[in-house]
Amino acid sequence: MKEHRKTCAEIFRLAGRVRAEVTISSSDSALTRFADNVISQNVAETSVSVSIKLTDKGRVFRVSLNQTGGAALADAVARALAALKLQKKEKGLLPPPAPKPLPSPAPGLYVPSTAALEPSFRAAKAADLARLCRPKGMKCYGTVENGASRLTVANNSGVFASHRETCALYSVTVRKGEGYGWAEQYSPDAAKIDYAGVNARAMEKAAASARPAAVPPGKYTVILEPAAAADLLLFLGYSGLGGRAWLDGRSFASGALGRRLMHPSITITDDALTGPAAGAPFDFEGMPREKVVLIEKGVARAVVHDRRTAAEAGARPTGHALPQPNPYGPLPQNLEMAAGDSSLGEMIRSTKRGILVTAFHYTNLLRPKPVEMTGMTRNGTFLVENGRVTKALKNLRFTQSVVEALGRVEALSREREVVYGWGRMCVPAMKIRDFNFSSSTGF
Amino acid sequence: MFELCEEAIDVLSSRRADFGDIRVVRTRTQALGVRNGETGSVDDSETLGFGVRVLLGGAWGFASSGLLTRSEIRRVSLLAVEIARASAALMERRVRLAPEPAYRDFWQTPFMKDPFSIPIDAKFRTLFEADRLMRRDRRIKSATASMRFVREHQWHATTEGSRIEQVLLSSGADCRATAVEGAQVQERGWPCSHGGQTLAMGYELIDQLDLPGHAEKTAAEAVALLKAPDCPSGEMDLITYGNQMALQIHESVGHASELDRVLGYEESYAGSSFATTEKLGKFRYGSPIVNLVADATLPGGLATAGYDDDAVKAQRWHIVKDGVLSGYMTNREFAPRIGLNRSQGSCRADGFANIPITRICNLSLMPGSAGSLDDLVRDTRRGVIMENNKSWSIDQRRLNFQFGCEIGWLVENGKIKKMVRNPTYQGITPAFWGSCDAICGPEEWRLWGVANCGKGQPPQTAAMCHGSSPARFKKVKVGVKAG
Repeated sequence: MKEHRKTCAEIFRLAGRVRAEVTISSSDSALTRFADNVISQNVAETSVSVSIKLTDKGRVFRVSLNQTGGAALADAVARALAALKLQKKEKGLLPPPAPKPLPSPAPGLYVPSTAALEPSFRAAKAADLARLCRPKGMKCYGTVENGASRLTVANNSGVFASHRETCALYSVTVRKGEGYGWAEQYSPDAAKIDYAGVNARAMEKAAASARPAAVPPGKYTVILEPAAAADLLLFLGYSGLGGRAWLDGRSFASGALGRRLMHPSITITDDALTGPAAGAPFDFEGMPREKVVLIEKGVARAVVHDRRTAAEAGARPTGHALPQPNPYGPLPQNLEMAAGDSSLGEMIRSTKRGILVTAFHYTNLLRPKPVEMTGMTRNGTFLVENGRVTKALKNLRFTQSVVEALGRVEALSREREVVYGWGRMCVPAMKIRDFNFSSSTGF
Repeated sequence: MFELCEEAIDVLSSRRADFGDIRVVRTRTQALGVRNGETGSVDDSETLGFGVRVLLGGAWGFASSGLLTRSEIRRVSLLAVEIARASAALMERRVRLAPEPAYRDFWQTPFMKDPFSIPIDAKFRTLFEADRLMRRDRRIKSATASMRFVREHQWHATTEGSRIEQVLLSSGADCRATAVEGAQVQERGWPCSHGGQTLAMGYELIDQLDLPGHAEKTAAEAVALLKAPDCPSGEMDLITYGNQMALQIHESVGHASELDRVLGYEESYAGSSFATTEKLGKFRYGSPIVNLVADATLPGGLATAGYDDDAVKAQRWHIVKDGVLSGYMTNREFAPRIGLNRSQGSCRADGFANIPITRICNLSLMPGSAGSLDDLVRDTRRGVIMENNKSWSIDQRRLNFQFGCEIGWLVENGKIKKMVRNPTYQGITPAFWGSCDAICGPEEWRLWGVANCGKGQPPQTAAMCHGSSPARFKKVKVGVKAG
């Protein structure tokens, strides 16, 4: 933090009377990648990124660099000051915010031992799985990652917010003939990752899906494991739960706050502070993040705001700004879906005929307002008949509105998983009826 | 800069590396945007750093840093060596690289106007003007206009003796209008989607694109789409237009022909490929009129350079020839696995901080003999023209794809009848390319940039181009519904 503070002080000195906002992101990360039971890629990266936004008399300009030396900072600030004079004056430009008390970050997000893991640790984890796979005629693919990062957001009006965290991610794909299995676990603490459990899940799924059969596309009851469910939640949040999309009328929640849009079992919250998907307790303007209940028992309650969209909406900022200015507006990055009272096993047992989905692949948005998505199933798709998993299936493509699908939820699991991707999401498994698969493929 | 590079080469040579290299990269990026009459985004960025790659005892190590000092280069080089030793703990065979001569050369993207010498206020004036012209209808809720410029200066030194300096330049721009009314949200962009058109050119590209000159039509089409009928559902002829064909080529041929994917090295993330190596030279990928050529020498191509990041000289080769699978995108590690004694030179890294990986080169559909787009429409009894990609998805073996486009036009009896909204189509790669029965001629051929292709773990972004003329595909499933 000392280094970040020193860099900020130097930038503020160089900026003089001009309003300056600084975002510094630094990280040390490493990743060991394996394929075909051997290490295929093994990399480490040390990086720092400094972004300097200057505002003066309604004008704004931003420069960024990856150096923190005095000469590089001086050059960058001089370039920004020169460009600033050429910028058009804007009436709506907000001044940098004044400092506000920041909540404490959730405990356990920085674990020194995770930051310090060596290449030999990662190689050993990959080797452990390869040793299990070879005698069974299986091939393994995946990554072992660890890293530490610090984010600082500061301005010369007194804001100084800094947060550090570590990340460990173990992701495994196992192939047995035509069968695939996948499992993944994220934690800020590498010691809390159940490497053996991840291996076992991926290997079991690969073995079980070795001879997949075809089913015709159509509407099925689906049981989505948390990774698949997270894909739906990601697009729901990205396209519909941000203040800018809501103001533009592009969101499913536009003009619909207070209305029931989904099944009463659906409650979605953005919580960077205390929940399992917690992260930095401030946004990219250094404002405190708030816990926001977005969907409550199926009723649209709120969207997230930065200072700008809050002012336009007549609402309170919730601390969800991305780096300013940007055309996207605020976005939720710590989504959490409330648990239900079922389990994956109970969902299977209660299903007469349905499809169990491990994960989706290459999902994308077709129409924003209903959050209509498409994507493929991947790494373990199974037919459920009369309460039992009866066979592996060839992969299917879905084309489905997420808002409509969440209106047809039949069960949510008690257990939830934290899925690491765009921010973090904590998601249960879901059972949904009449989920639309629009086409199939030959494997 | 090459003097600093010698620090890494000395460390790697003293450890008896099979191969090693250092790439120092200085990147200047300028991204400017406006939205609804205000600055939407602005960033003028410069980064500098280096990445060291070492092949030691047949295993790879890589490390990078943004601190360019002799001591840091030494530290990072030794870290790369340590990582390579860890990699050797889990290997089945030694990595051997396809041979390539050592080069000492300088190469740079040709351009007419240096975009970084054009004043910021002149760029913003163009953007604000385009933005203003798009906001004349109250149903336009979001108007955006943007420009991006990237100059990447690379110094690449290898233990084999190559010393290659390159300066790669690209420029790009677009304007985009989003119309909203009731449940309908419709977008239209000029000249295309995915951040607009980007090519390896200078500011002359921005002049050619003339954003203000196309802003009003762009917005008018977004508004017109609100009331247009939905694209019909069923099987009919499809004519791809605009950058939709670029996405079709990119997803169903480009990624499918990356040899690392084909061999399973991307299985954990992006997936593999149906175009497996036993099919090379035999497999019917498309109809006999389909010729797809990879070309790292293509003027304006975003993957065009003198050399790739394996220090391999730029080349041009067929991926699909007369409809048959004929080649792959390769690096020096995997080329020998298919019997090549030289890499095709399609290995690139995202900046200095990432290890070079196999990448799609510029990949283009060669023009056919169907004349102009008007000629093709006259020759079509019932079909849909789909323009500019809006949504894209393809399975992990690059077979089952589904695309959505910004706008469609229904064609009946050789005439364009009406605009249709939410056009989508779905297919299976070889069957789809096999149904290609007409490709327009060279007069319709355009190059489209893909500036944001993601691949790898850790994720890397690369840029490339795809050229094509409009083409027709028979009996395609269009108008896919959510049910």
